[in-house]
Parts: sequence; structure tokens; C-alpha cells
Amino acid sequence: MLREDDFSRRRAFEAIVRNFSEQLYWQIRHMVLSHDDANDILQNTFIKAWTNLDSFMGYSRISTWLYRIAVNETLTFLNKQKSNLPLETDDEGELSLADQLESDPYFDGDQTERQLQEAIATLPEKQRMVFNMKYFNEMKYEEISEVLGTSVGALKASFHIAVKKIEEYFNKID
Amino acid sequence: MEKERLYKIDEREARRPFTVPEGYFDNLTQNIMASLPEQESLYSTKIIVTPWMRIRPYLYAAAAFAGIFFCIKAAVGISTRNNAEIAQTEETTIYSDEYIDSFLETAMIDDYTLYYTLVDAN
Repeated sequence: MLREDDFSRRRAFEAIVRNFSEQLYWQIRHMVLSHDDANDILQNTFIKAWTNLDSFMGYSRISTWLYRIAVNETLTFLNKQKSNLPLETDDEGELSLADQLESDPYFDGDQTERQLQEAIATLPEKQRMVFNMKYFNEMKYEEISEVLGTSVGALKASFHIAVKKIEEYFNKID
Repeated sequence: MEKERLYKIDEREARRPFTVPEGYFDNLTQNIMASLPEQESLYSTKIIVTPWMRIRPYLYAAAAFAGIFFCIKAAVGISTRNNAEIAQTEETTIYSDEYIDSFLETAMIDDYTLYYTLVDAN
């Protein structure tokens, strides 16, 4: 159906958007935290998927393909954001994240959940991605492996290290 | 102790501490679809055939034939010129009938030997 005339293509793509937009949104949101940024990245993800629809050869599942695009878009955004930030000390960075979450009208977590977000933010991008996919999106290691192109064993190790770092973060602040 | 605390977070349903504007997901598909650019699909694009596109294969074929023709003509021309040059440079010995008759009378040879004798004599 994706390869038929424009009208059919649009209708098929609409079904894909309806099926996957919410789960992709949450995957992106956990990485960038802000709703507006997540919304922009999600739009870009689907625009990219739409314009490159002909390059989707069907070797992987469409959800995996979309996740890959979303991950790339998110990482590009985070790198751009990082390069645009003025040089700060770590303390200032932590404060700014706490302030950002405190003042965010779309964050309704308690103190522990805010601290958990702060702890997650200290992880390297890839570890953060794995942790969010596993912990919040409850994805299987096999699915994450397809999206990130990393072996299941490496992902398990990555998740384990991420959990340990988060534990250490909680140990430090108490 | 802190490990236990994280374990509790891990054990309970991972609650998302984030919310979205009201009705966001209701309109999300519509908003995304509205933001998509028009797509020129490989499968639906109509190809407009111009007169140039129509005559182009014939012109290419004509050019190919012309090329082959000139190549052959050039090759044949060279070959003809070579033959003419050879003809100009080579001298042909002409024997008189009397010479041949007297030769036949004095020599008892067959036609084959005669041919070779004349060739060798040249």
C-alpha cells in the first residue's frame, strides 16, 4: 500500500503515525525532557520518514525503522543543544536541570522522580537511551538491539551500569 | 539502603512524571499529517514526454549509423588507395605469344609446371 498512488500512501502513512506517534513521543520526551522539544523532534522524525519512504526496503519492521530515525533526530538535537550551551560547571548544570523540571508545567513528578531524572541526565547518551527504552518504554532487549544496532549482551551490560550509576547518584545526594 | 530505594522505584510501575497539553495525543496524528510536505513519489509521478524525448532515440540511432558508415568508408578508402599504390609500383611482365609457343615446344612440361616456370622467370 505504501507503494501505491499518493492518496493511498498518505492514508497508509497516517495509519503508521496513529500507531507509533505516542510511543515515539515518549521515547523522545524522556531524552529531551521538554514537551516542546519532543514535539518538534517527533514532527521531524515523521517528516524524515515520509520523505524517505521509498528508501524503506522492508528488511526491518517499520517500528524499528521509525525508532532509528527518532533516535538519530534526538541525538542530533542533543548534540546541537550541547554545542549551543555556554560553558558551565557541573553544579550549575544540575541546578539548571532541577530548575527546568521544577518550572516545567508538564512535569508532575515528586522529588524522587525529579532526582531520578537528574540521575538519568548524568548518564552518557547511549546509556540514557538504553535505560529509558528499557525502564520507561519497557522494550525488550532484542527490540532495542535492532534499533541501536548493539548486541543484546552489550545492552544488558549498559543497562546494568546505568542502574548502578543511578544508585550511586542517590547514595551521593542522601 | 539507597539501593533498596532505587529498587522500589524499579519495582513499581515506571510512572512517567511527564504530562502533555490537554488533547495533545488526540490531535497529534492530524498535526503531523498536516506538517508533511507534498511528496513526489517514484510510483505516482507522471512523466511528461517532450518532443525532444521522442526524437532523441532516433537521432542517437542515426548518429550511430552515420558513425559506422564513415568508419567503413574510411577503412575501404585506405584499402583502395593501398591497392592503387601497389598497382602503380608493381610492374607486370608481359610475355609474347611467340615466346610461350616456343617455350612449350622445347620444354615438355604440363600446365602446372609451366605456370611455375613463368612465375619463377619473372
